[in-house]
Amino acid sequence: MKITYGLGDRGTREVDVEAGTSIMRAAITNSVPGIVGECGGQAMCATCHVYVRDEHLDALPPISDDEEEMLDCTVAPRDERRSRLGCQLAAGVAFDEIVVDVPSAQV
Amino acid sequence: MTAAREAPVSEWVTIPDMYRDPFPIFQRMRAEAAVHWVPSVNRYMVVTYDECHTAEMDGETFSADETGSLMKRSMGHSMLRKDDPEHAPERAAWQPPLRPGAIKTVWREVFEANTERYLDRLADAGDAADLIWDFAAPLAAENLRSILGFVNATQEDLQRWSQTMIDATGNYADDPVVWEKGRRSSEEVDRAIDELLPYYAAHPDASLISGLVNMPGGERLPIEAIRANLKMTIGGGLNEPRDVIGTAAWALLENPDQLGRVLQDPALWPVAFDEAIRWIAPIGMYPRETTRDVELGGVRLPAGSRLGIVVLSANRDERVFEYAERFDIAREKKPHLAFGGGAHYCAGAWVAKSSVAQVALPRLFERFEGLEIDGDRETSAGGWVFRGMLKLPVTWQRERKGAAA
Ligand code: HEM
Ligand code: FES
Repeated sequence: MKITYGLGDRGTREVDVEAGTSIMRAAITNSVPGIVGECGGQAMCATCHVYVRDEHLDALPPISDDEEEMLDCTVAPRDERRSRLGCQLAAGVAFDEIVVDVPSAQV
Repeated sequence: MTAAREAPVSEWVTIPDMYRDPFPIFQRMRAEAAVHWVPSVNRYMVVTYDECHTAEMDGETFSADETGSLMKRSMGHSMLRKDDPEHAPERAAWQPPLRPGAIKTVWREVFEANTERYLDRLADAGDAADLIWDFAAPLAAENLRSILGFVNATQEDLQRWSQTMIDATGNYADDPVVWEKGRRSSEEVDRAIDELLPYYAAHPDASLISGLVNMPGGERLPIEAIRANLKMTIGGGLNEPRDVIGTAAWALLENPDQLGRVLQDPALWPVAFDEAIRWIAPIGMYPRETTRDVELGGVRLPAGSRLGIVVLSANRDERVFEYAERFDIAREKKPHLAFGGGAHYCAGAWVAKSSVAQVALPRLFERFEGLEIDGDRETSAGGWVFRGMLKLPVTWQRERKGAAA
C-alpha cells in the first residue's frame, strides 16, 4: 500500500506502508516534512491536517464528530471537501493508495 | 554512522543550580551530548529537541510506566504512567469535556467570570499586589475546580491538594512530613470524590466528574482509576496554567515593544502564549523508562534505564530555534514540546489555550492600564522539573473596570 505526499514546491514523496498505518504515522516515521502529529493520533491536536486529492475522496470513511471539531481548529484554512486529519485515515481501512497535499502550516 | 558511546557522566550538574537557573547548564549539556547520566538526579537526562521528540513519540521503547514511580505512590496509578493499550480507555473518558467544542459552549463563559473575580482580588491587593498569588494561582485553581466539578471544595483546597501531592511525587529525599501531607490530601480527595459520584448520578452536568459517572453505555472506569486520574489532573492542571500566566506577563512586561504589538493586535495573544511556554516550559522534565537496549542520540541505553525528558532544554535547542534564549513573538512558528507529544500529549492543551490566551492575559492587560513590574519589591523565578515565577509584584496606573472586549 502506498501514500504519496504532495509537498508544493518541493515535489512529492512516496511511502510504502503496511495495513493499519495512518497518513500521520507514516509521515512521522519517514520524516515527511509538514506533518507534526503532536497528539500521536488521538484527534486532539489538529497538527496532522492534509488535503486529500479529489480522486480519492469518495472512497474515504465519513468524518467523525471528534475529527469534525478538530478540522475547525487547523492553522491552514480548512477546505470543506478535501481537508482531513492524517491520523484518522489508515491504510487498508480508508485506502490502499492515496495522494494527499501537505498544508503550508500546522502550528 | 559513528559507533554508539556511553553517556557522559555529568557530575557537575546539581539540583540547586538547576533550580536557580537551568538554562546555561542545559546549553552546555546540549553542546556536549544529547543524553547525559546525571548522578545528582539518578537518571539519564535527554536534553536535545530531536531526542526528546523521538522518545515521546515511541511509547513502546520509552515507557511511561516507570518502575518505583513516586507518583504512583502519592496519587495512585494514573494514565500518565500507563502505556497504550491500558492508557487509552482512561484517556478517552477524560477527553470530552476538555475538547474545543465543550470549551466554546460551556467553559469559555466560566473562565471569563472566574477571571473577573480574581482580577478584582488583584485590584484589592493594592500596594502588595502579586500577579502570581493574587491572580494566576487562585484563577487557575478555580478554573480547574469548575471543569472537574468539585462543587464540594474550594479553590484553596485545590491549591493545597495540588501542591502537597506534587511535593510527595518529588519526595526523593523520603521526608516523612512530605509523605504525611500528601497522604492527607489524597484522602481528602478520595472523600470528596465519594460524595460526588452519587451527586452527579442525580445531577448530571458538563463537568468532567459528571462525565465519568454518566458514561455512554453505562460503564464506569474502576474507582482506583477515577481517583488516580483525578489526583494526577489536580497535580498537572493547576500549576501549569498559573505558571504560563506568570511567565507570559513577565516576558511581555520586560519587553514593552512586544507588549505594544500584542495590545495593538489581540490576535497575537495566542502567539505570545505559545512563545511563553516554548521559552519556559512549565513542565520542565518528565520521566520515561527504556523497555529494551536502545541507542538515542548516539548514546547507548540499556533496557530499564530511567530517563528524564527535559523539554525545558529541548525548547531552547539552538539547532531548532534561532536565538533560542530570547523571548520573541515574531520568531518563525515551529512545533515546541511544552505540551509533550504522542499518547500523553497534554489532555488540557485546549483548556490552557482558551483560559490563558483568550481570557486571562487579554483581560489582565485590558483592566490594568500601565501595568508594570514593581521594582521596589523582589521578582523571582525558580524550578527545573516545574518552572515558573515565584514572585511577580506589580503596580499599575489606572484601572478600567468592566472593560470586557
Ligand atoms: C500551559 C499549561 C499546561 C502545560 C504546559 C501542560 C503540559 C503537559 C505535559 C508536558 C504533559 C505530558 C507529561 C508526560 O508525558 O509525562 C501533560 C499531560 C496532561 N495534562 Fe497538561 N499541561 C497544561 C495544562 C493542563 C490543564 C489545564 C489540564 C486539565 C484541565 C491538563 C491535564 C493533563 C492531563 C490529564 C495529562 C495526562 C495525559 C495523558 O497521560 O494521556 N494539563 N500536560
Ligand atoms: S495527530 Fe493529533 S489530531 Fe491527528
